Amino acid sequence: MFSKEKQIIAYSFEKCKSCNFEKKRKFKEGDYLFSETTKCNSCDGMMQIEKIFGETIEQ
Amino acid sequence: MIKLDLLIAEIMVDFTNIDLDQLFGFGDDTNPLLMLVWILPIILFVFYGQRIQLQVTSSEIKKSIKKLDGYRIEARKELIDYVKKNMSLKEDPTKKIDEFLEYFTIMPVDMDPNGIVEKVKHTIRAREDYSRINVKSLSPEIDEIGLSRIITLLEIATSLHMIYKIINHMFLTAKKQNNYPLILPLQMILPFIMEEAEAITKAIPAFKLGQPIGDGIGPMVVGKMMLDTKKEIVAFQTVFSKKEYDGRTLLLLKAEGPGSNVGRPGDAVESVVSKNKPDVIIMVDAALKMEGEDSATTARGFGAAIGGIGTERFQIEEIATKNNVPVFAIVIKQSVKEAISLMTKDIANQADNVRSQIEEMIKENTKSGQTVLLIGVGNTIGVTQ
Repeated sequence: MFSKEKQIIAYSFEKCKSCNFEKKRKFKEGDYLFSETTKCNSCDGMMQIEKIFGETIEQ
Repeated sequence: MIKLDLLIAEIMVDFTNIDLDQLFGFGDDTNPLLMLVWILPIILFVFYGQRIQLQVTSSEIKKSIKKLDGYRIEARKELIDYVKKNMSLKEDPTKKIDEFLEYFTIMPVDMDPNGIVEKVKHTIRAREDYSRINVKSLSPEIDEIGLSRIITLLEIATSLHMIYKIINHMFLTAKKQNNYPLILPLQMILPFIMEEAEAITKAIPAFKLGQPIGDGIGPMVVGKMMLDTKKEIVAFQTVFSKKEYDGRTLLLLKAEGPGSNVGRPGDAVESVVSKNKPDVIIMVDAALKMEGEDSATTARGFGAAIGGIGTERFQIEEIATKNNVPVFAIVIKQSVKEAISLMTKDIANQADNVRSQIEEMIKENTKSGQTVLLIGVGNTIGVTQ
């Protein structure tokens, strides 16, 4: 009755292949592990998806 | 304080001074109507006890069956919606999907178990091939990734449909016969069935969106090791590559991602072992945790770490035995629900630890110049290589 509703949010965790800059963002369809996504914000390297996972939040 | 003592003394019953005749109503001055109050329920329970229990248990089981019905309806709807949205269809697929849901598999006779593994493998593969060809015939231009997702969603819908039908059949049979003992096995297995059915239903979004699942931790670790190597298809939907590590040759094997595939590791191991003669086989897989165990913990062991119906494991064990190759295993523990739904953060965070354990295991069990076959076992949805 008083339990909070749990919701799982998917995240993609990216890492730059050159400078190891890390970024966590919400998962979007078409994201796959180890696929290259965008250019790194801090250098000219490519960001690669290192992890895709779900985190539970209570509402 | 004194008042409280008196109160306790007042309400306490003296158990040494009980009149049995008065208690059971056998005395001469007992009202026969009062006797009936406790005799009637005893008679009722002696003759109709099982029927009353059947009614009570039935109402609980009915609630679970209603839930199962909801799960199968949801899975069917999700499948139809996904097919309509992602396949360019000329006609409504509902009728065809409903036909697929009714498909069954007759397992081979096991009175003579000799050669049964090959028969089971043949039957299962015939079903898989049939599903693939028929789903593809709905829309021939669909790519392999989309096709693999639809086949998995179809398997989910079929499993939930079959679970509902079997449980409902067992329940209705017990009710029809008014047989309480017949309903007991159902009452015992139902919590486990419900847990599994709920887990299967919760897996739908991950497969629709192509997200990695808990079972994909093995392919995730091996897939990362495969990056920047030359890959080749070594068996159906199974990819292979070679890599050097600390003077050893690593033969890497996993299902071809990012589609929803488990590959055919048995056939792949057969091919790789015959050509490359590895000195050690290491298998990385997700394993079901026991109650009380923490999720995302790892353990090392011996033997072929691979689930499923058993045919792939049989094949790997046979090849390893014939070639005298030791098989080591690293497992990442998780619940059924975690194994088939979106990978949790804890499991994903174990990837680097598992890789270090693999490297440690390689150094411990092989010498420089030797060859290691490393297999990432599991569904590789959302995991490339």
